[in-house]
Amino acid sequence: MSEMETEKLGREQLVHVLLNMAEEMLLHGAEIYRVEDTISRMGKAAGAAQMNVFVITSSIVLTVAFADQEIVTETRRITDSASNDFTCLEKLNRISRQFCSVPVTPEELQKQIDAAIQPPASDLMMYIGSILAAGGFAVFFGGNIGDGVAAGLLGVLIGWLQKKIRWVFPNTVSFNIVCAFVVGCLIGILTKLIPWLHFGMIMIGDIMLLIPGVATTVSIRDVLVGDTISGTLRLIECLLLAVALAYGFVMAIMLTGGAG
Amino acid sequence: MSHAVMQLITAFIGSLGFAILFRVRKEFLLVASLGGLFSWGIYLGAIAAGQSIFMSCLLASAFSAFYAELLARLLKAPGVLFFIPSVIPLVPGSNLYYTMHAVAVKDWPTAKLNAVLTLEYALAIALGLSVMWALLSMIRKLRHLD
Repeated sequence: MSEMETEKLGREQLVHVLLNMAEEMLLHGAEIYRVEDTISRMGKAAGAAQMNVFVITSSIVLTVAFADQEIVTETRRITDSASNDFTCLEKLNRISRQFCSVPVTPEELQKQIDAAIQPPASDLMMYIGSILAAGGFAVFFGGNIGDGVAAGLLGVLIGWLQKKIRWVFPNTVSFNIVCAFVVGCLIGILTKLIPWLHFGMIMIGDIMLLIPGVATTVSIRDVLVGDTISGTLRLIECLLLAVALAYGFVMAIMLTGGAG
Repeated sequence: MSHAVMQLITAFIGSLGFAILFRVRKEFLLVASLGGLFSWGIYLGAIAAGQSIFMSCLLASAFSAFYAELLARLLKAPGVLFFIPSVIPLVPGSNLYYTMHAVAVKDWPTAKLNAVLTLEYALAIALGLSVMWALLSMIRKLRHLD
């Protein structure tokens, strides 16, 4: 292989690995402008003359122009929806900082990315988080301690459903309807059996786990700061999810006759 | 225990829950979750000072953005990691529930009222965040001019 071909191959590989980096950042909860900014910086650190990064929630386009007029471009379709994993995000952030001061080869960068996105070894922390979040907010919005405990326990169920059952469903909207319905019915039965628990308060705690509250805020922010396409896409996704959630819960309320 | 104190404690617990769920690193868990307590404190303070729900929520959200940016600088980590736990108590989960409940029992005026409130909260959070974000980026640019 001639020297030029080897160089071209290296550049294509660089663009490919940068796209992997962009995808992982996006999927682990980075903001749109943060992904675009980070990848631009990394590209320039690796010797690009001009970086064109276009990120929306469902696709990434990366075109890198080098000083000798060569242009390399690649597109990535993103089908997974983003979730927040700040341990991974922080590691990716650190990799990008290091890369910007001392660039490494694409192979090495890929190795670092693979090491950063390791999922947690156990689900225990996720369940603890669900208990605290659902239980805390059930009491926060006016429930008693019993409501908090009930919401926390059902939070564990929600976490389990999200972890183990979610993949069976074609999309998050259908999963949210079923999940909300099942949890809503259980809350209805529970409050019938134990009359001093409050149907509404337990449900509010568990709604906090399922409602795309932060995602909605982030999407409105995206629109306001100029990432209009991403913001709109995400906002519509969030509204759909919220409606699905409401639909599942409303059916459960009607079925079990839960009040207040 | 007064209602406000109880809310501040549970805002902290709830924010901590989300910080754990979103895998904020152990070392940062406390400061990230304290953000939820502070932002709810600011919301309650603003309401007590006679501000509207919209304005109070906007102020609390702007504070969260500032707090997150400050910590991001100090701890050299992405700001979003501190912003999300801080802003979580402002998410209108209860209004969404009251909207749904009112729809289920066909109480349309209550449904409408709570749906509007839900949107009001969401818009106030986003506006507060964006205003602070714009301000901070302007300050940063001006400082770089020197």
